[in-house]
Amino acid sequence: MTTPILSIENLAVIFKQPSGDVYAVRDVSFELHKGEILGIVGESGSGKTVTCRSILQLLPNNAQITSGHIYLDGNKDLLTLTSVELSKLRGERISMIFQSPSTYLDPLMTSGHQISEGLQFHGNMNPRESRQQSIQLLKTVRIREPEQRVNSYPHELSGGMKQRVMIASALACQPHILLADEPTTGLDVTVQAGILKLLKQLRKEQDISIIVVSHDLGVIAEICDRVVVMKDGNVVETGPTRQILLQPQAEYTKTLISAHPSRFLNIHEHATHEDNVGGALEQPVLQIESLSVIFGYTGLLFHHLPEVLVKPLVQAVEDVTFDIKRGEAVGIVGESGSGKSTVARTIVRLIKPTKGKILYKGEDVHLMGTRNLLAYRRSIQLIFQDPFSSLNPRMTIYDTLAEPLRKHHICPDNEVDSQISELLASVDLSLSLKNRKPHEISGGQCQRVAIARALTLKPEIIIADEITSALDVTIQAQILELLEKLRVDMNLTILMISHDLGVVKRICERILVMHNGHVVESGAANQVILQPKDPYTKELVAAVPRMPTQ
Amino acid sequence: MSEHTELLKPLISDKSSRVRLSITPLTIIGLSLIFVWILIAIFATQLAPYDPIATNTEAKLQPMSSAHWLGTDILGRDVFSQIIHGTRVDLSMGIIGVISPFIIGIIIGVISGYFGGFIDSLLMRLLDIALAFPFIVLVLSIISVLGPGLINYYIALAIVSWVPYARLVRAEVLVLRKTEFIDAARVLGFSHLHIITRHVLPNAITPAIVFVMTDIVLTILLGSSLSFFGLGVQPPTPEWGRMIREGQTFIGTAWWVSIFPGIAIVLLALSFSLLGDGLAKQLRVRS
Repeated sequence: MTTPILSIENLAVIFKQPSGDVYAVRDVSFELHKGEILGIVGESGSGKTVTCRSILQLLPNNAQITSGHIYLDGNKDLLTLTSVELSKLRGERISMIFQSPSTYLDPLMTSGHQISEGLQFHGNMNPRESRQQSIQLLKTVRIREPEQRVNSYPHELSGGMKQRVMIASALACQPHILLADEPTTGLDVTVQAGILKLLKQLRKEQDISIIVVSHDLGVIAEICDRVVVMKDGNVVETGPTRQILLQPQAEYTKTLISAHPSRFLNIHEHATHEDNVGGALEQPVLQIESLSVIFGYTGLLFHHLPEVLVKPLVQAVEDVTFDIKRGEAVGIVGESGSGKSTVARTIVRLIKPTKGKILYKGEDVHLMGTRNLLAYRRSIQLIFQDPFSSLNPRMTIYDTLAEPLRKHHICPDNEVDSQISELLASVDLSLSLKNRKPHEISGGQCQRVAIARALTLKPEIIIADEITSALDVTIQAQILELLEKLRVDMNLTILMISHDLGVVKRICERILVMHNGHVVESGAANQVILQPKDPYTKELVAAVPRMPTQ
Repeated sequence: MSEHTELLKPLISDKSSRVRLSITPLTIIGLSLIFVWILIAIFATQLAPYDPIATNTEAKLQPMSSAHWLGTDILGRDVFSQIIHGTRVDLSMGIIGVISPFIIGIIIGVISGYFGGFIDSLLMRLLDIALAFPFIVLVLSIISVLGPGLINYYIALAIVSWVPYARLVRAEVLVLRKTEFIDAARVLGFSHLHIITRHVLPNAITPAIVFVMTDIVLTILLGSSLSFFGLGVQPPTPEWGRMIREGQTFIGTAWWVSIFPGIAIVLLALSFSLLGDGLAKQLRVRS
């Protein structure tokens, strides 16, 4: 066995806080070998990012490395270097790419400048040479038309391209180690698949070793040779990816694997509610008829004005038609910009449709009078993506739940307390939390409160708009389980909106796939996922990172 | 900063400890100073050794002595007693002066930010008009039309100084309007009035409250300067700005007539500034 290119021994990092010191990383050791892609996987708070940042000592001011060694090439301890030596090392030997490239790219710099900055700093290259080199690097990261793109500013590039530019600038000085901190989080799956493929190619072409930090086991499974599983600042398990995924030893790894939504993609038959499809003869509760939404449409009045004077029109949704029957669970899947959330918001009357109708039990939702609208509001509820932003930060959980009960006179005032206890119990929350405010509880708990609030009015239909995408996988699995339970208990009809095929597959019998405002394919969940017909659906299904199965 | 807190977020398991900020020393100092000022204003008659408007030609422009702690002015009035009685006028001028701009500004800001569109454009153009004139010039011209005096000063303030409140609140509301709990409230079928009073206002009002503290100081200073020009409080009512003006002529020989009311203004302003700074830290809710 050769000496590892990078080895971390007994690393411990604390964060100094007014309330006392907190361990972010307790005792972490692992090795990175030459030409290897190593994955660090864990949920939020596991210390994976802190570990990764410790290597280059890019830590917040209140963080302190209390013990451990980080050896480069088996002899040089990075923790003993001076800041001058460190800055020479950064970029030249080890470089890093980050999550959300939009915030890490300077908006005032072209991609060429962004890349050549490092070249000029470390390599003493003159501007002309470095420009040539930048174009070359853009070719390496597979950006089309590199000669033009070298002059583009970040806002002119898509999310995937920005990440490629960041990778190019990280590669500029031919580092031996690339640290990738959540490199694909926040990107669409099809874009993610491209970036992951690129990282694999780079490893071969550039003779580089890569550490990928991710919360997503799917991503890790896709590209890593070995994986380190972290939890609460400790390493839970280390080993070759296949072995970890197929024969996990630690309890926590097993939980992570079973919680991963891609698992549901492979389950052929749907577990429950197959009998509900039998109700197909029934009149649909919700009919969406050739719905179109155009943003920035000002009506006929300003229509004849020259284009510079009016805002550009954005066709968010075009000619979408579908209906939902009582007791059914329908999923809308699509990537960002597909118009899926706009459909949800139009259904609950947060957005007006430009064309088309939404019928609730035969009545046009957008033409309802006050009285009918109030009844409609009661029967349909929306749950949002960000659990923190969907709760009023100044209201306690009790107040949040009591408000709709009182306003809609759901129950007499003296029963509000017992109603709230019941609601909290139905979403598996302890009653002791009722006097807390949203920032005093966890994200998963917030999402449960948001679900409880939606249930206060005893709705028929629940629209769940990306309700799990801000949560850790294990919490995500719990929320989905809760949703399934509530669906049966309260006889709910569900419209689930998500970018994640696995999540939708778990809950829904029927799936609609949206792309650029159109529904490109719809049908039974199994059929759409296992035998996709539309080329876009095929691409989407193929792009989902999967875990190996025996 | 945000990146660092991002890193820290998951590490804190006991979330309750993060939020309950202890009351900052600044707030305590500011509050107690203001409390002292209020006591002085309430018990001015008891505290002042002399009648503040009683003239005494025998003892004019006396320097500081055990009889007249801060000396006397040109009419032989006791400076210390005048300052104590002046507290009543200046303190109430600051506090009453900000009430109507505060209310008007918040209402305009909330309506403008919440409803947006045409209403927003209309109200913001109104705001631009108010903003286009230099503040003091506008107050001066309003007062010169209405005539000098405290009541007219309050009216002038109501017309002019709501602008910053409206802007602050509107900016907050614009951010809030994008948060999901406002959408959730609409989906729950609440009325606009209910959403504004229960969900929008409590979350948007913080910067306005902090600004009130600064604005009280500005209002007192402006009121004093108006009195200095003879457009505010009319003699013989004791008022600090007026005292400074009256002492101005003798600044070389009897500096105490102007300097002490000046110090009083600075101290009162400082008290409110301290409270403002303290509140700004205190009320910052992390969401």
